Amino acid sequence: MGTADPELTNNQEYGSNLKILASNDQVKELQTILRDRNTSRSDFKFYADRLIRLVIEESLNQLPFTDCKVITPTGAVYNGLKYQSGNCGVSIVRSGEAMEQGLRDCCRSIRIGKILVESDADTHEAKVVYARFPENIAQRQILLMYPIMSTGNTVAQSVNVLKEHGVKEDCIILSNLFCTPLAVKTVMESFPKMKILTSELHPVAPNHFGQKYFGTD
Amino acid sequence: MAAKITTFEPPSSASSDSECGETQADFSEVFPDYEAEEEKSGNFYNTPASPITVPYCARPPSAGSQKSPKARRQRTTSINKSSKQTASESVLRTQHRTIYTAGRPPWYNSAGQQVEPFVIGICGGSASGKTTVAAKIIAALDMPWVTLLSMDSFYKVLNEKQHHMAHDNEYNFDHPDAFDFDILVSTLQRLKEGRKVEVPIYNFVTHAREARTKTMYGANVIIFEGILAFYGTKLLNVLDMKIFVDTDADIRLARRLRRDISQRGRELDGVIKQYTNMVQPSFNHYIAPLMTHADIIVPRGGENEVAIHLIVQHVHAQLQLRGFKLREELAHSYVGQSLPETVHLLPTTPQIRGLHTFIRNKDTPRDEFIFYSKRLIRLVIEYTLSLMAFVEKTVETPQGVLYNGKRMATNKICGVSILRAGETMEQAVCDVYKDIRIGKILIQTNFSTGEPELFYLRLPKDIKDYKVILMDATVATGAAAMMAIRVLLDHDVPESNILIVSLLMAESGVHSIAYAFPEVQIVTSAIDPEVNDKFYVMPGIGNFGDRYFGTEPSGE
Repeated sequence: MGTADPELTNNQEYGSNLKILASNDQVKELQTILRDRNTSRSDFKFYADRLIRLVIEESLNQLPFTDCKVITPTGAVYNGLKYQSGNCGVSIVRSGEAMEQGLRDCCRSIRIGKILVESDADTHEAKVVYARFPENIAQRQILLMYPIMSTGNTVAQSVNVLKEHGVKEDCIILSNLFCTPLAVKTVMESFPKMKILTSELHPVAPNHFGQKYFGTD
Repeated sequence: MAAKITTFEPPSSASSDSECGETQADFSEVFPDYEAEEEKSGNFYNTPASPITVPYCARPPSAGSQKSPKARRQRTTSINKSSKQTASESVLRTQHRTIYTAGRPPWYNSAGQQVEPFVIGICGGSASGKTTVAAKIIAALDMPWVTLLSMDSFYKVLNEKQHHMAHDNEYNFDHPDAFDFDILVSTLQRLKEGRKVEVPIYNFVTHAREARTKTMYGANVIIFEGILAFYGTKLLNVLDMKIFVDTDADIRLARRLRRDISQRGRELDGVIKQYTNMVQPSFNHYIAPLMTHADIIVPRGGENEVAIHLIVQHVHAQLQLRGFKLREELAHSYVGQSLPETVHLLPTTPQIRGLHTFIRNKDTPRDEFIFYSKRLIRLVIEYTLSLMAFVEKTVETPQGVLYNGKRMATNKICGVSILRAGETMEQAVCDVYKDIRIGKILIQTNFSTGEPELFYLRLPKDIKDYKVILMDATVATGAAAMMAIRVLLDHDVPESNILIVSLLMAESGVHSIAYAFPEVQIVTSAIDPEVNDKFYVMPGIGNFGDRYFGTEPSGE
């Protein structure tokens, strides 16, 4: 199983299940553009899609694989590896859907489920109002997509729904762009076996993401 | 014309449709009267796809007004090895492949250093047969690439008064003052350094330079011909060999009469007047004395086979001292050394290995091959951008806090793809960098020599100011990549501004590039240990371009 990824830095404080995309200048630039209030919508979407693609590619690195040998056109043997089939994406409506295209660009025919979580206007309690999954979701590895995590409530509710459908906690990988330390703590305490992949831990989350990406601000 | 174009179509079609369209437009511009040209120039032939072009203006006509536009010749000739062949012979068709043999071979050695071209100057009176001698030397040299520069391109721009004098056969086109020696010398010097030059195109109707120029490059051999080719020490210093063509005055007059009257429709009186008043005195005063500078004097011009034979022998001996075999030398050096510092290898994550597994497998169907190549290319390009220079920048966020981020230090980045396989990487560059400019360089391997040859290039105009992402899908010996880098350097791109980006490189290729161009950054997702005897990387991907575009030979 692929766990030793040079691309990722493991944060000691949170244990090995939190993985942060190795920050290079390039990733930092993408984050800067997305956080800048003066970024135009078209730029925002363009750079968001780039960052999403990088996060998705990194998330796929967390999936299980086996070694295999193939013959190249020159007749030589290449020691490669093969990913297991039976993966599935699940996006949390609405901002999680922004990441679906990135996943599609990497895995053409992957099945994608959806969860809609809404906050109660009075109690601020997150509630799942809609969930639709592939039939045998319990046997699959899940890539849960949600770009911004500030409290972790929405994600926590979504994971609960997945678990109700028989999905094992250690089969879930959360793909995330921006995340607060608070949210990580909350989620990891509730679901210690779930993996979280994010591009940045920062006390302030860019909560305008969904609105600006879909143009409803 | 149409038949001609197909000759230079890159050997695939899948992605080069637009390419052909552009090139085609090019040809018609370059060959306004190709048909007429061909019959005149006999054993020359045109290779429009090649970057070396020889601007060729009409002879000093002396009487511009009488010249029809048709007489104004604009030859763009690349004279090369196959100058004895016809154009169609530069394309060999076998059962499985079409082979093109008319590109520009390497003009630098295996260390990436330019091999200084051998410059031959040919001087002699008007109509003495300089061009014929040049053509015979080129044919006998049997060299892959020769550039011919004519002094006629460097006539001075005439003012109105001089223009009228020319009209009345009174302007002296045979006097040294008629030439712009400053531009001439600097052009020749740059050519000798292997640099790109812009050669003026002189219009003999308006007696001015046209707005556009002809781009020329240095070559293995440069031949410079003109009536005053030996005039002044600066010119003499550039020439490695000086040939004077000495033809009897009456023969020269006879040729001149025939040419001006039958080909240019001029009156006998005018031609005689010009000859006696200007051509003949200039010859005696300025041209004939130049004979003392000559290394060799060729009597009777082009008919003199013995003289030409001697000249060719000397040139061959000189060139042998400089050495040209490239690819083989590259493939067998530097084995077993540690990787150079300029190499940036993508971290080998499971995904990258998984993608490599797909595209290296010979049984992968093409749609999967294309899909997974694109994913890998995207990762390589993203990684490449992270190598650019960045500066700190603080921005305001909608949440009301400041964010300390970074932005790229330059917005001058351009992509240059090495056709054909490098073209597959263009889309990814456009996907990650908005409005990026893309240049193209076509380099093909000559199947008879195994050497890379340069056929075509289009680069952004001010490329010297850009960071250049040079793309090729695979790098085996590095020969093509080195040629492309050399082209960029010839266009004044600083070496440190170049990044060569590839999906897969062979170790020897990496070492060759790093050795020849220590400041060029090398980016790739995998480095394989070997190159086989067909110059494919082992274990490798096979021929990436063929697999991507679906042009693999069947039955192999």
